Amino acid sequence: METFLFFFGGAVLLSGGIAAVASRSAVNAACWLVFAFLGAAGLFAALHAPFLAVLQVLVYAGAVMVLFLFVIMMLEGPVMQGESRRPRLWLPLLAMAPAVVIAVVASRALRTAAPVGFDTVLPDGFGQPLRVSWLLLQDYVFAFQMIAILLLVAMVGALALGRSERKRPWQ
Amino acid sequence: MVPLVLEAFAKIVFMFLLIMGFVPLLIWAERKGSAFIQDRTGPNRAAVLGIRLAGLVHPIADVLKLVFKEDVVPAQRHRFLYAFAPMLVMVVAMSTYAVIPFGDYLEIGGRRIPLVVADLKVGMLYILAIASLGTYGVALGGWASNSKYTFLGAMRSTASMISYEITMALSLLGLFMIFGTLQITQIVAGQGELIWGWLPRWGIVVQPVGFLLFIAAVYAETNRTPFDMTERDSEIVAGYHTEYSSLKFALFFMAEYAHMVVAAALIAALFFGGYQIPWLPRSLLEAHAGMLLTGSLAAGGGLSLVVAWLYFRRARRERGWYNDSREREPGFLGAVAALVGLGLLGSLTLAPWSVGAAGASIFVTVAQTGCFIAKVAFFAWLFIWVRWTVPSFRYDQVMRLGWQIMLPVGLLNLAATAVWLVIAHR
Repeated sequence: METFLFFFGGAVLLSGGIAAVASRSAVNAACWLVFAFLGAAGLFAALHAPFLAVLQVLVYAGAVMVLFLFVIMMLEGPVMQGESRRPRLWLPLLAMAPAVVIAVVASRALRTAAPVGFDTVLPDGFGQPLRVSWLLLQDYVFAFQMIAILLLVAMVGALALGRSERKRPWQ
Repeated sequence: MVPLVLEAFAKIVFMFLLIMGFVPLLIWAERKGSAFIQDRTGPNRAAVLGIRLAGLVHPIADVLKLVFKEDVVPAQRHRFLYAFAPMLVMVVAMSTYAVIPFGDYLEIGGRRIPLVVADLKVGMLYILAIASLGTYGVALGGWASNSKYTFLGAMRSTASMISYEITMALSLLGLFMIFGTLQITQIVAGQGELIWGWLPRWGIVVQPVGFLLFIAAVYAETNRTPFDMTERDSEIVAGYHTEYSSLKFALFFMAEYAHMVVAAALIAALFFGGYQIPWLPRSLLEAHAGMLLTGSLAAGGGLSLVVAWLYFRRARRERGWYNDSREREPGFLGAVAALVGLGLLGSLTLAPWSVGAAGASIFVTVAQTGCFIAKVAFFAWLFIWVRWTVPSFRYDQVMRLGWQIMLPVGLLNLAATAVWLVIAHR
C-alpha cells in the first residue's frame, strides 16, 4: 500500500509538474500545478502523515493556488482563442506512462523482497499535529515569527505599490 | 475482511441515500417555504394519478425535464474544464460527508460498528481541505464558459470563498482547543456531557461567538443569501452557471443543495451535539429501551391513526369538489397513514417492553440517528428561512464584513478561549 501510494503520488506529482511547465495557457498550468500538489499530498499520506497530507491540500491546493488562479484570471480575462481547442491530453499522459510502469514493476518487485517500511527512517511521531506544532512553536519559533513579519512587510509593500500614483507616500 | 467491506459499503450507501433524499426535499421546501413566506400557494400542479403531496411530486418532474433537455454549450468554451467543473463541484459536495458521524455505534453480535464512514484523526481539516477545493469548480466553471457574466460570478465567488475560509477555520479553532481534538467523532462524543448537571456541553454553549462566526462563514461558503452575490439575478444573470444547461446545470443545482445539507450537518455535529439527544445519554436510553420503545410505538401508532381519521374526514367532505382524479388524494393518504398506524400498534403484540440487548442497541441507534437527521433538517430549513427573510449584502459589504469584522472577532475569540483554558486548567 505504501509503495503503491509512493509511486502513484510520485507519478501524479511528476506528470502534473511537467504538464504545468509545458502548457501554454496560464490557467491550464495552474490547474496542472494543483494536480501536482494533490500528488504531493499522496506522498505525505504514504509517509503515514495524514495531517501533513491534508494541510498540503488545504494550504497549497486550496488556498495558494486559488489565489494564483484568481490573479491569473483577473489579468488574463475570459478564455482566449487557443484555449478553446480540444485538450491535448497526450502530453501529461505520456509523462505519466513511465512513472506508472515503474510503480507497477517496483511494487511487484518489492512484494517479493523484505518490506522496507518508512517507519525505520522516520522520527517518532512524524507528521502528527502535536509534533508539527512543537517544531513550529517551540524549536523554530524565532524563524517562524521572522517569516510572519517578512510576509507582513511584503503585504504592506504590495499595498503601497498597489495604490494609485499620486497617493504613494514617497511622492 | 468481508464484513468490514460490507459495513463500509452499507454506511456509504446510507449516507448517499441520506443526501440524495435530502436534496429534492430541500428543493421542495425552498419552493413551498418561499411561497409560504411570500403568501403564495407555491407549486401544486404536478401529480401522479391525482396524488400531488403538496407539490412533492414537482422535484420528479424537474429531474425528468433536466434529463431530457438539450445540452446547449458555448462555442468558445474551454472544452475540458467546462465539462469538468460541474463534476468537481458535485464530488466535493458529496465526499465531505465521509467524516460526519450520524450515530454513536451499533452493537450486533458482539461487533461494534462505529456509525461514521471514515473516522479520520484529522477529520475537521479534511472537511476544510475538501471544501477549499470546491472553489475550483465554481471558479473554473465560470471562467471556462467564456462569458462575461459567468466570469464575473466566478470572480465574486472566488473572492468571497477566500475571504470566509479563514474565518471559518478560525471559528473552529476555539472548539478544537476546548475538546482537545480534531476528530469529529470525539467532538460529538464530548458534547454528550452536562455542565453543572443540567446544561448540555454543546458547542454553542462553550463557543457562542465561534458559532456565530461559523454560521456566517458557512452561509458565505455555500453562496446562499445574504452572501449570494455570485448568482445575483439582477446583476449578473445566474452567475457562474449562466452558460450551463441540462444535466450539467442540474449538477451545479444539486451540488448547491448538497452543500447546504453538509453545512447543516456540520452545524448540528459541531455546535448542537450531533446525534446526542439532550439529557438522554446512551446509558439511560439502553436501560429503559423496552419502556421507551413501547411508548414510542404506541404514540406513533395512535398519532398515525388520528392523522388517518383527519384525512378520511377531508376525503368525505371534499367529495364532488373537483370531479377529477385529485379527489383520490386525501383517501389515499388516509389509507397510508392508517396502515402505518395499524402496523405500529400491531407490533405491540411482539412484546417490545422485553426487548433484548441487540434490540436495545438498534433502538438507541435509530433514536440517535433520527435526532441527528431532525437537527440537520432544522438547519437546512434555516438556510431557506434566512434566504427569504434577510436582504442580501452588496459586494463591498461582504468584503468588509469578512476582513474587517469577522476576521478580528475570530482572532479575539481564539485568544479569549486560550486565556480561559489556561485559567481553567490551573
